[in-house]
Amino acid sequence: MKNKIFKIFLWAFLISLVLFFLTLIFGLFNQLKITSVQKQFAFGEIFFAIKLTLLTATVSSLSALIFAVPIAYILSRHNFPLKNIVNSILYLPIVISPIALGAMLLIFFNTPAGKFFESNVFRVVFEVPAIILAQFIVIIGLAISLIKSVFDYINPEYELVARTLGATQPQTFFRILLPTAKKGILSAFLLIWARAVGEFGAAVTLAGATTMKTETMPIAIFLSFASCDIYNAIILIFISLFIGIVVLYGIHIYAENRKPQL
Amino acid sequence: MRKVFIIGILLVWANFIWATEELFFFCGAAVAVPMREIIKNYEKETGVKVNVTYSGSGTLLSQMELSNRGDVYLCGSPDYIDIGVRRGLLIKGTDKIVSYLVPAIIVPKENPKNIQKLEDLSKKGVRVGMGNPETVCLGLYGVELLDYNNLLEKVLPNVAVFAKSCEDTATICVLKKVDAILGWDVFESWNPKDVKWIKIDKKQIPRISTIPLAIPVFVKNRKLAEKFIDYILSPEKGKKIFKKWGYISDVNKAKKYAPEAKIGGEYKLPGKYFEFIRKP
Repeated sequence: MKNKIFKIFLWAFLISLVLFFLTLIFGLFNQLKITSVQKQFAFGEIFFAIKLTLLTATVSSLSALIFAVPIAYILSRHNFPLKNIVNSILYLPIVISPIALGAMLLIFFNTPAGKFFESNVFRVVFEVPAIILAQFIVIIGLAISLIKSVFDYINPEYELVARTLGATQPQTFFRILLPTAKKGILSAFLLIWARAVGEFGAAVTLAGATTMKTETMPIAIFLSFASCDIYNAIILIFISLFIGIVVLYGIHIYAENRKPQL
Repeated sequence: MRKVFIIGILLVWANFIWATEELFFFCGAAVAVPMREIIKNYEKETGVKVNVTYSGSGTLLSQMELSNRGDVYLCGSPDYIDIGVRRGLLIKGTDKIVSYLVPAIIVPKENPKNIQKLEDLSKKGVRVGMGNPETVCLGLYGVELLDYNNLLEKVLPNVAVFAKSCEDTATICVLKKVDAILGWDVFESWNPKDVKWIKIDKKQIPRISTIPLAIPVFVKNRKLAEKFIDYILSPEKGKKIFKKWGYISDVNKAKKYAPEAKIGGEYKLPGKYFEFIRKP
């Protein structure tokens, strides 16, 4: 009897939350029916926003991965002085609100170092690289933390064995650790990619909301909402939901098929 | 323990029963600075609690439409009153003007590109910022201003950024991320240390904007809402504070900067704007 009640209890949580999310989505359909159309749907603009979002999110999450893998490896396998402080600094972007990160970046580009970069390397502020940089900063903490836990779950013994058999450190890293962690890293990548797709606060602060230049999907949703154009906002939310569900479903299928790790 | 609990519940109930009168005020963020002061005074003098939300004019309309709430609505430009009435969110004929906004070129204090007149914005290498014309009134008025003076095609290529709101447009100038913005006169009084108002030739200004307020259809206590509006519009109370913060509340004073300008009214973005923007 007690077991049964416990089970019902568990399922109640799951069902209520799923129902709540479905209600939210249903609410969108409902609002779509009663709200009036404010302006014509601009397909060209929306298509641009989708393309820009997918492109910037892919570049920023790949770059985040390139930084996160070695950093996570150090944090997982090595101890060094002030490690806790370094940890806290690296994880800061997870706690700080994106709008604050965006403002910090915008202010940085107003310092001599930032100005030097903009005039000698390339322009960032209000350009497409600004979106990529904003997304990168927002997701990098999450990327490190996710990949570190992947490494943490892999027994260091395998690497030690490889080393005793004569493998060098890079060989151990590339031939033992990375292949073992491959699937975990890929799931992490998809999650940070999805987060980058949804990034708004930092991106709009650093890149502005210029139509057909820096207008990503979240910015397009904001602009529709900000012009009292709820109809178009809902259509855009549906497109974002679709992208989100496809990615998450992909991760799920992938995780299900995951072979047991070493 | 139980006693404490019961007393607690009673207190919460008492709070509901003897609750002070309250207003839901949806206020355009462009006037947040003077409004904060006005609301503080109003609450102190009348005991009425004002629950205020500051945001973009359109966002506020969206929020009212979705929440079915709102006693007073104040927006950054008259076209949102028209949109609100058309969408059945605001009571027709309740709109009143709080203040007037004159289009202005705002530059960083040092004026790095030596901008002196509207035509200078089309000079090579000048980076211009403006509000997104499709969503921010400031951007819309900016496009009209440029088009009226046959400068639209010449200045648009120099526009480095569309900001998402009126305040963001001011901020990018304060942070010196652009050489000039198309803004409002009042931006200078928001940040007098950082930016400078370059006056546009009187004859070049086709339209002056207004800051209107109106009563939403969701109003609970219309008398209370009207009293609050009267307070904002009163020369000794609300308007005095607006004046202190550099807002023009007298139509004749606004006309001094642009004698031939229309006041308020709707302007539609011209086809050539979209052609330029959507050009790959």
